[in-house]
Formats: sequence, structure tokens, C-alpha cells
Amino acid sequence: MKNISEITKITTVTSQHKEQNAPMNNSYKTWFKSGSPWVWLSASGVSLSLISVLGLLLLIASKGLSYFWPATIYQFEVNDLQGSSYTVIGEIYERESIPVSQLAHTKMVFSPETETVERILIKTGNRELVSLDFRWILVPQITKTTEPKNVVVIERRTNGNFYGFIDKIILDGKEVKKQQLTQLIERVDNFQQQIEDLQKSDIGSINYQLERLRLKEKKYKINNQLTSDLKQEIDIQVLALQNQYKVLEKKLMNLRQQVVRDQIVVRAMDGKTLTINLENVLSVSYANQLNLVEKAEVFLQKIGHFVSDDPREANTEGGVFPAIFGTVLMVLLMTVIVSPFGVIAAIYLHEYAGKNGFTKILRIAVINLAGVPSIVYGIFGLGFFVYVLGGSIDALFFPENLPSPTFGTPGVLWSAITLAILTLPVVIVSTEEGLARIPSSMRHGSLALGATKVETLWRIILPIASPAIMTGIILAIARAAGEVAPLMLVGVVKMAPTLPLDGNFPFLHLERKFMHLGFHIYDVGFQSPNVEAARPLVYATALLLVTIIVALNMTAVSIRNKLREKYRALEH
Amino acid sequence: MISVTPKPLASQQVIRDLNSLTPEQVVLTIQNLNLYYSEKQALHDISMLIPKGQVTAFIGPSGCGKSTLLRCINRMNDLVDHCKIDGEILLHNENIYGKHVDVSMLRRKVGMVFQRPNPFPKSIYENVVYGLRLVGVKNRRVLDEAAETALKSAALWNEVKDRLHESALGLSGGQQQRLVIARAIAIEPEVLLLDEPTSALDPISTLTIEELINDLKKQFTVVIVTHNMQQAARVSDQTAFMYMGELIEYSDTNTLFTTPTKKKTEDYITGRYG
Repeated sequence: MKNISEITKITTVTSQHKEQNAPMNNSYKTWFKSGSPWVWLSASGVSLSLISVLGLLLLIASKGLSYFWPATIYQFEVNDLQGSSYTVIGEIYERESIPVSQLAHTKMVFSPETETVERILIKTGNRELVSLDFRWILVPQITKTTEPKNVVVIERRTNGNFYGFIDKIILDGKEVKKQQLTQLIERVDNFQQQIEDLQKSDIGSINYQLERLRLKEKKYKINNQLTSDLKQEIDIQVLALQNQYKVLEKKLMNLRQQVVRDQIVVRAMDGKTLTINLENVLSVSYANQLNLVEKAEVFLQKIGHFVSDDPREANTEGGVFPAIFGTVLMVLLMTVIVSPFGVIAAIYLHEYAGKNGFTKILRIAVINLAGVPSIVYGIFGLGFFVYVLGGSIDALFFPENLPSPTFGTPGVLWSAITLAILTLPVVIVSTEEGLARIPSSMRHGSLALGATKVETLWRIILPIASPAIMTGIILAIARAAGEVAPLMLVGVVKMAPTLPLDGNFPFLHLERKFMHLGFHIYDVGFQSPNVEAARPLVYATALLLVTIIVALNMTAVSIRNKLREKYRALEH
Repeated sequence: MISVTPKPLASQQVIRDLNSLTPEQVVLTIQNLNLYYSEKQALHDISMLIPKGQVTAFIGPSGCGKSTLLRCINRMNDLVDHCKIDGEILLHNENIYGKHVDVSMLRRKVGMVFQRPNPFPKSIYENVVYGLRLVGVKNRRVLDEAAETALKSAALWNEVKDRLHESALGLSGGQQQRLVIARAIAIEPEVLLLDEPTSALDPISTLTIEELINDLKKQFTVVIVTHNMQQAARVSDQTAFMYMGELIEYSDTNTLFTTPTKKKTEDYITGRYG
């Protein structure tokens, strides 16, 4: 932004200059000589990149955010070619014009001057009633469009959205008033939450402990240390855990019974009635009755759910929280790994390595490392880290687990290390540049006071070089957070059952596989069984990924700026 | 010829003849020092004595090797690639180019101040105690006292005592140079090397530093390189004139400036070249 304003300033100055001094016949030459063309050229270059960045962001943002805005639900009466009429209820997903020629086979009659016909894509939901939850309708076939006030959108755990009308609410087998619905949903939600907590933390923890006990026993067996005492001790512990499990299981069954108590009977667009268990219902909204404020509320709620929930239905519905968590954790781990290695390598290259041909070759090798395609790093990571390193770790430390691997399988640690290698050159190069920029008077000042080289490095050089190191880290983060290809080989999965961080010792499980936003985009957009339904999710996830990368970068940039401020006076 | 009024040396004894120094009066002995940068010889067979508790100035035209000679005294030339030295420099009869010399230790005994002020991007206080922290002093009171003493000796205390913990980069050039001197004397060296310490400063700051040098010689032996002859005349007790890497003439300042024995010296101080 600053650059552009500067450039425009220069341009105005030069053009004023030109008007005053240049004779008319010579003005073109003078204009050329004044350097204005180059100013304009560079200004347009800057504007072009700015426009493309903003355009990209705007596209992603608008498409991604509109997914969360509650759409109006329409009821269309359609008269099709066979003369039969039917009702379609749903939200408009897309509009497009198609040439009449495409409809030749339908034997539809159009007036000769019509060239294109508009058609709309309707999201009709109700996946259990119809095979496709999206339907194209030609606009000329629509006889009537209404926005019924009492139409509901029911967001469900399975089978996607339901669009239709509520017939009755059943509480424990008896019909009750419709006003009670919100209350009932809240109640069920509450129980669902309890069930989830119970399953994930309490029962999950017991399962984890049981598994560890099983492995402990196996380890003793392998080492021939399993005495009857030990065996008994383990058996007692297992028994205690199993008893705990039984108690929790009973509690779970009770909750389950509470949850399945109530139902809603609904009527779909074709008049069929359907009973939906409240257990299956996430939210019910009368989309056409919402005013703007309520819509905004729903919008924010949906965004909240999107960033905090687990995915559902093969990732095509629900949130992306595990993917956000995985991305951030992996990038942070990568940063922790790459920074010390990069800085140490740069210090060696700049401070200790002799100024000879070998160092030059080393430096060229480092720079070239940045140009290696990322998938090659992925293959290297899989071959070396996962199989060789991970395999050896398993053989040495986790023999009780074999043949199922612990570290000898793709996981978040290997992903972080692979990306650390990928981004190492960036950190090395920018740190080295930072070291080279430090005036030699700093070094000499410290050495003249009796400091050794190492002391000078620690106390003077590294602090002054820290902004440059941060620049390297920023670039590394930017590169690593967007990288997907190598991760597919060394740790990312479509659906990870558990996060790499949980309440079970040792809390951070570096061997676990994880989800990643970049891979999520690929998976949802191109591997999903329901491409139409997933498309807005792709935009929303892309927006989220960009937001997270920008946030990570901004954090690093602000740290760097603080450091720069501290050493600013040095840069004359 | 520059008129020089001989200045009274209050407590110091005026050394008339540099060759009649007793061993106790000598801090540094330079013997047959030759220095080569790759193939080029920068110093030719230099021998001289530097007396204790006095200010010795090296003068000469640019590129004559005066700074190079100064840097030999605390081995800063070690940092230059392809720099080869033969001959000896004795600090109290110990060759500083000997095999078992700890260079860090040497530099603690022979401090140095550079042409441009180079305070570290730390607070004023941290700058001054840097050398003490290096040798492992952690006691807050010791550090505080040392910082105060050093800043007082460098005539900077009154100006910075209220902002000791602010960045040193906020000081003016002259203050920065005095801070750097304070930093050097905080570790109590025996010899203080000043490499054109006022060339980057304005006249008033220069004057302050010159007065400071006069005070410093009560505690330290000072060796100063300057291209400003008036300055050498004002601050030094002995002056060595160098030309093309050779030591042309070395005697007490008064003699050198009033009755030089060599033609080259006379030409230089009368401004015929340089």
C-alpha cells in the first residue's frame, strides 16, 4: 500500500515537472527520459499483484462465508414435460443459462428468438427419500414460487438436511405442542454432550489404560520377566478398570435411553411423512421466519460450529476442528524443529566454515534444497523417517506393540520433521543474510573486551540477528502451512479418530496421525461422494486455511517487528 | 611548524629519553615486528618501548600502518585473514604472540576503543558491565559499583545516571564514545588502545574525550592513534611518527613537534604531505 502511494507521489511530481519544462514537440522524449514509464510499469506490476491477491481472497471469502448464511427456502410448483406437476422445496444453490440447443432432445417448444434458458440448482435435502439431494429445474417449467413461512430446515447428524413441514412432536410416545420443540432439542443436546464426554474422556481413558496394561504384560512376556506376581498385579488392575468400564457403560446406556425418547413427525415436499428421532437432530430452524438479526445470529453460530465441531458424513458436513488443530500443531512442531537446526547451520556456514570451495558448494546445495519438489521430501520422509527411523524406534522401544507399528507409521512427528527439512533452506539463507548484515564493529567491540567467539555469538550476534531469524521462520511457516503433497505420505489422514493431544499420559501423542486443512480441502472437494454438497465447504475450508496461515504469520511478524524496533538504530 | 606549549604533567614524571627507561617503567616492548597481509608487508621491523602511565600517540599519513600496529598490541589482527606476524610484543616481558597466550585474557588486559562508537544494542548499564558479566560476575552490587566507577571515570555518569537502563543507542555520538571507553575501563585493563577515537565526533565531543584521555592516564597506559597532529600534541606524552609501515621517529611529544630529527617527520608536521 505504502509503495503505491509513494509511486503515485513520484509520478505526480515528475509529470508536473514535465508540464512546466518540456517543449511540446519534445514532450514524449522528455517523458520517456524522466523515468515515468518505469514508474508506471512498476506501479502497474504492484497493482496487478495486489488486485489478484485481493480478488482471490474476496472470491474465497464470499463463497466460503455465504455457506453459513441461512438461505431462504422456496417452494416451487413444477410442471414437467410429461404434464405431471410436482412440488420441490429447497434452497437455490446455483443459477445458470444454457443454450436452447442443449434441450433439443426434450422436445420442449420455445419461441424462435429464445437462445438461452435459465435453470436453477435446488438443494432439496431429504437424502433418505430421494437418491439425489440436488435437482436442476428449468425456470420456464416453474408455475408458482412461494416462500412458505412454516417450512423448516432440520440439520441432522446423518442424511444431511431435511426440508419440509413439522406434523407433530412426540414426547415419550405422546403428542405434545410444537412450542416445546426447542426445549426438547436442548434436552437431547445436553444428553448428547454428556454421552460424547463420557465416550471420549472417561471411556476413552479406560480403553487407553487397558491397552497400556495389555502392552505392559506383553513386554514382560517378551523379556521373560512375567512372574505370577506381576501377572496377578496386572490382572487386578485390568479387573478394576473393567469394573469401572461396566459402571460407565451402564451410565451410557441410561443416557442413550434418554436420548431416543422423543421424535418429530415431518412431511416432505412430496407429501410423504417421516419420523425423525430427536437424537438425530442438531438444529431446527424456520428459515423463512428469521429476520436479519436472527439470520446473523444463525450465521455466527454456524461459523462457530464449523470451527469447533468434528466432521460428519465422510467430511461433507459438520466442522473442521481436528483439521485446524492438526494444522496448527504440525506447523508449531515444525517451527520448533526447524529453527534451531536452521540457525545452527547458518552460524556454522557464516562464522566457522572456511571461506573455500567446499563452503561454496555447501551453500549452493542448501539453496538448491529449496528447489526440490515437495513430494520428493514426502517420499524421503516416508522412506527414511517413517520406515527406517520409526521402524528402528519401534524395534528398540516398543517391541511389545509389534507387528502393529507405533512410530513406524506415518504420524504428526514425521510430518513435522519432513516439513522442517523442506523449510530448512529458507531459515538458513535468511539467518545467514542477517548474520552478514551485522556490522563487524559489534563483533570487534565484544572481542576487544575479552569475549571469546562463542560468547560474542551468544550475547551480541544472535540477539542482533534475531529479526532475520524470525524472517526465516515466517517464510518457513508460510511455506509449511500450505504444503499438502508430502504430508499425504507421512502422516495426514482423511479422518483421525483422536487428536494428537489429549488427557492421557503423555498427553502429546506424536506418533498419531492427524488431519490437515489443506488435505481436507482436497479430500472434501475431490474425493467426496457428494461433490455438490461439499463445494461450499471447500471454499469455507480454504478461507479458514488462509486465515490461519495469515494469523500464524502475523504473530511471527509482530514478534519480528518488536525485535527490529529494539535494534533499529543499528541499521544506518 | 606547530607551536606546542609543553603542558605540565602533574604527578607524572616527564621522560626525556625513551632509551633510559627502567624495566618497571615499560609496559609494552615491541621488538622487530613485521606484519604481512598476504604478500604485502604492512609493517617493517618496528621496535619501540611504551612507557607506563603515559599517553603515547601514533601519527602518520593514511595507510602508514599506525592502526595496524595498534591492533597488533591486543591481537585484533588475528581476525584478519591471511595476516602474518613475526617479531615480538612483550607485555611485562611476556610475549603476547607466545604459544600459550590466552587471547581473551590478553584483551582484558589491553582494552581497545574503535574509531566509530560501537555500543551494543543493550542498555547503557548492560554495555558497561558486559566485560564483567563475561568473566562471570553476577553480584548485583559489584556490578552496580563497577558501572558507576567506570562511568564516572569516563565522565559520563552525570549525563546517564538517571537512564542507565535505557538503550545505549539513544545516546549522542560523543556520549556513545565515552560509553565505549567506560565499557573498556570497567574491566580495569592495564593498557587502553584508542584507534582514532574522535574522528567520528564533533569538536565539542572531541574536546571532552581529549580531557578524558588526560584523566585516564592516571590509571591506565594509553596508546592513541590519531591523524590529527594537534590532537597528538595536546594529549600525548610520547609521539611516534610512522610512514609507509616504518617507524620513522619516536620521542617525547615536545621534542618531536619542535625539533624533529628526521626530514620526513619535519615534512609531515609542517604539512608538506599527508
